Amino acid sequence: MTRHSLLALVDPMRRIGTALFLFALLQALSFGAWAQDLKKASLMPQWVPQAQFAGYMVAVEKGFYREAGLDVELLRGGPEKPPFNYLETGKATFCTDWLSNAIQKRAAGLRVVNVGQIIQRSALMLVAKKKSGIVRPEDLNGKKVGVWAGQFYLQPASFFRKFGLKVNVIPCYSSMGLLLKSGVDANTAMWYNEYHTLLNSGLDPDELTCFFFADLGLNFPEDGIYCMQETLESDPAMCAAFLNASLKGWLYAFEHKDEAVQIVMKHADAANTGTNKVHQRWMLDRMQDLILPGDNRAEMGKLKQGDYISVGEVLLTQKLIGSLPPFDQFYRGPK
Amino acid sequence: MTLRLRSSIAFKMMILVLGGTSVVFGVILLYSYYSSRSFLLEESENNARNLTQYVARRIEQEFRSVAKATESLASFLETAKCDEETLLTLLRRTVLRNKEIYGSAVAFQPYAFDKGTRAFAPYYFRGKEGLKFEQLGSDAYDYFTKDWYHIPVVLKGPVWIEPYFDEGGGDIMMTTFSFPFYERDADGKKGELRGIVTADVSLEWLARLVSSIRIETSGFCFIISETGSFVTHPQPKMIMRESIFSLAEELKDPRVRHLGRSMIRQNSGFVDIGSLPSVGEAFLAYAPISAVRWSVGAIFPKSELLADVTALHQQTVLMALTGMGLLFLVSLLVAKSFSRPLRRIAQATVQVAGGNLDINLSDIRSRDEVGQLAQAFTRMTEGLKERDFIRDTFGRYLTKEVVNRLLESSDGLRLGGEKREISMIMSDLRGFTALTATMHPEQVIAFLNRYLGRMVDVLVDYRGIIDEIIGDGILAFFGAPETLEDHPARAVACALKMQIEMDEINALNEQDGLPRLEMGVAVNTGAVVVGNIGSEKRTKYGAVGSEVNMTGRIQSFTVGGQVLISEPTYNKLADILDISDVLQVQMKGVPGAVKLYDVAGIRGQYDVHLKRQEEKRILLSHKINVAVHRVDEKTVALTEASAWIDEISASSAQVVLAYEINQWQDVKLLLLDDQSRPSAGEIYGKVVSVTQVGSHYVANVRFTSVSPEAYQMIHRLEQAT
Repeated sequence: MTRHSLLALVDPMRRIGTALFLFALLQALSFGAWAQDLKKASLMPQWVPQAQFAGYMVAVEKGFYREAGLDVELLRGGPEKPPFNYLETGKATFCTDWLSNAIQKRAAGLRVVNVGQIIQRSALMLVAKKKSGIVRPEDLNGKKVGVWAGQFYLQPASFFRKFGLKVNVIPCYSSMGLLLKSGVDANTAMWYNEYHTLLNSGLDPDELTCFFFADLGLNFPEDGIYCMQETLESDPAMCAAFLNASLKGWLYAFEHKDEAVQIVMKHADAANTGTNKVHQRWMLDRMQDLILPGDNRAEMGKLKQGDYISVGEVLLTQKLIGSLPPFDQFYRGPK
Repeated sequence: MTLRLRSSIAFKMMILVLGGTSVVFGVILLYSYYSSRSFLLEESENNARNLTQYVARRIEQEFRSVAKATESLASFLETAKCDEETLLTLLRRTVLRNKEIYGSAVAFQPYAFDKGTRAFAPYYFRGKEGLKFEQLGSDAYDYFTKDWYHIPVVLKGPVWIEPYFDEGGGDIMMTTFSFPFYERDADGKKGELRGIVTADVSLEWLARLVSSIRIETSGFCFIISETGSFVTHPQPKMIMRESIFSLAEELKDPRVRHLGRSMIRQNSGFVDIGSLPSVGEAFLAYAPISAVRWSVGAIFPKSELLADVTALHQQTVLMALTGMGLLFLVSLLVAKSFSRPLRRIAQATVQVAGGNLDINLSDIRSRDEVGQLAQAFTRMTEGLKERDFIRDTFGRYLTKEVVNRLLESSDGLRLGGEKREISMIMSDLRGFTALTATMHPEQVIAFLNRYLGRMVDVLVDYRGIIDEIIGDGILAFFGAPETLEDHPARAVACALKMQIEMDEINALNEQDGLPRLEMGVAVNTGAVVVGNIGSEKRTKYGAVGSEVNMTGRIQSFTVGGQVLISEPTYNKLADILDISDVLQVQMKGVPGAVKLYDVAGIRGQYDVHLKRQEEKRILLSHKINVAVHRVDEKTVALTEASAWIDEISASSAQVVLAYEINQWQDVKLLLLDDQSRPSAGEIYGKVVSVTQVGSHYVANVRFTSVSPEAYQMIHRLEQAT
């Protein structure tokens, strides 16, 4: 017998051996996982399923949480589901929400802590129709401006004050219908969401004037990951693991955008949000701009004290909080 | 085979005809295809536009009736206060009576219906099990924040709401018409806003409506909203999820975005949208549904719209091909009908080149150019035959130039007899016949050939036509067949030249010891018949008529060295002629005297003059006896002995006779010695005048021929004196 035929005989056997070994290993691993007893956790995003939460969806889908020893349930968010309520009542382990909102909650006595700041840059903006003669902030004087209520009003209000604008504020809700029907001349919008909706309602970028609050000295970091202080204190490792797996999910999403959009669409379709791929792709692209401004991976997931203080100052000015909670108590994420 | 084919006219003609016509056909075909295509396309486009317009109007009707129902409910609410029961009844009736309305609500402003209730919004809608009722105001469904409520409040007017999924309300995809209603004071003046009346239209119902409108197309219809999002579409997953702009972004096709913008701006149009996945190449027609500011788009597969064009094109191509086929056959026949006679003519040409002029092309009967060619060819062979004949006829007497000129001139070929005025020359050697009787035959021939050779040369020089040479006599004429205007002058000049030539001939003859010759030349002008004379075997071009005979007679009056011309000739040339003498003669058969002119020279163009040496007669102291023989018809007829010469010169003598002699009598003078024996010398001559002196007659005789002996004697006498 030649060496070749010997090999031919040995090779399949070796393959079978390898397969058996791998199977055993997997068994051991999964058994190990079970043995480790995956920690159950849940996440309540502050809005409906969309690419704004792609990182978490991807982390679930790609098993990043599982790898980190977590069995994470992604809850379905929505406008009628205030996430901090879910934390407070224990219906969710983690939630995402805006920094400004979280500071107010903390200041109001809810013991929530930030375990990671995801969106570094504010995506909130004012979009105006050039047709209404608005190209500079001053042009907003006397114009009807649709603004969302609550935390979405913080930056616009500061902006109006800062520029001494007297605008006719029209409270509005989630849709761009008023702006599209010319019920208002400008409207608040999220860069990653409503702005693109406007583009895909047939308005061209050159027909629109954009005022990004981030560029107007009002950069409020937005989505951060929060949990109750008790949760953090009882299992800081779990919280860190959750953050890291989430960040891994985000990086994976940015590197595999088509796949990530697929995953997002699955969640969106399940929630019947009536969105489409190009919109989610746009959102994911913007998420990368907002989460990794300047592609600075070292700062990913971290809340800067300066950002915290400037948001806090606005809150103090607007008397939404009595005092700004100490940064160290509020922020418990990576330094 | 190919070579033969390629070099044949038929082939070339077919190629040309087929090539040319296929180009023309092609151009016409293309033109008609494109013009009819654009016409039919325009038709199809109009049909497509109309169809789309129709769908849009049909849908618009529904929206208008929805709006109307809502409006009337709102206006009722403005005019009449009503309790909850009435309101519900009205609301229910509105939904029930309008099949296009899915549900209807009257949503009041906070505390507007009942001061104790913030949200009051009764809503009737078509549930799965019939009409359902719901109060919309709840924590889960805060209608004040809904577009259908909020937007008309801000706009302070009716509005069609962008399609939405009414979660917690109707729980379907719908669009809503919202109509605000107000407090009205006694005058009907508008007061505070009380609420919004709404009517919902189900998108599913709308989709059914759209699909119920039959459009005869394998394409499809869709509706997009004011913002471009799909309201109806054959693919349900497109509805309210995708917009025409998201589609453009996904396709990365700015034209689609452009189209979308045109649609939402309420334009109508017709565009080529290229290839669609399940439809293929297609056109899109779109029209606005202006009540809601939506737009209907209808996809028409190109294959369907262009079916007529394609059919037409196929027909045209088929017709063209059939036409080309027929044309091919026709051109083949035509080409053959041309080339066959041409080939026959070509063969005939080869025959002619080979010298065979008996060509028969009578079978080519066509009257066209080919027929004309055949006829011309036949004429040409006839002409060639005639030319050969002419060459045969004239060749001997005429220079090449004259023959050619004759053949080239169109008149030259007319050889039939014709009457024409010509000038004739007749020359004769004086006393030659008699002279030859004593000469050796070879001498006679050499003698004659020298003489005739010279004379023919002179005649040809002057373009004379030699009619006849009989012995020493020459008959020639001028002015036929070649028309020569100056034929009298030529004839006279030629005659003079001939006389001048005689001096040289005589000089040569003298050297050879031959007798001296005298020639008489007569010139006459008159109308004669010229033409081909003779039989088929032997033909010559000649002249006949009394004037020819007349010339002969004039000639008989000439003496050696003399040129006598008739009066008609003289009359034509009188002013350029030098006349030395005018003779009055009697001619047989001619009554009265005939005037003849002795020409010494001609001036003008020809300018020929005779050397007329005035001869001095030698008065003989010693008379020479002569025997005078009358010569008639060139034979010496009579002998007269009793005569003598008392005066003599080299060319004439005065003879005294004892008996009467006639003027113009030809005589032979036989010189006698003292013993009245004939000496060797003899002289031929002509009596040019006679006078009676007593019983004697004195005759003036001009010599025509002088024997060498006699010449020597005269010469001796001359030298003696």
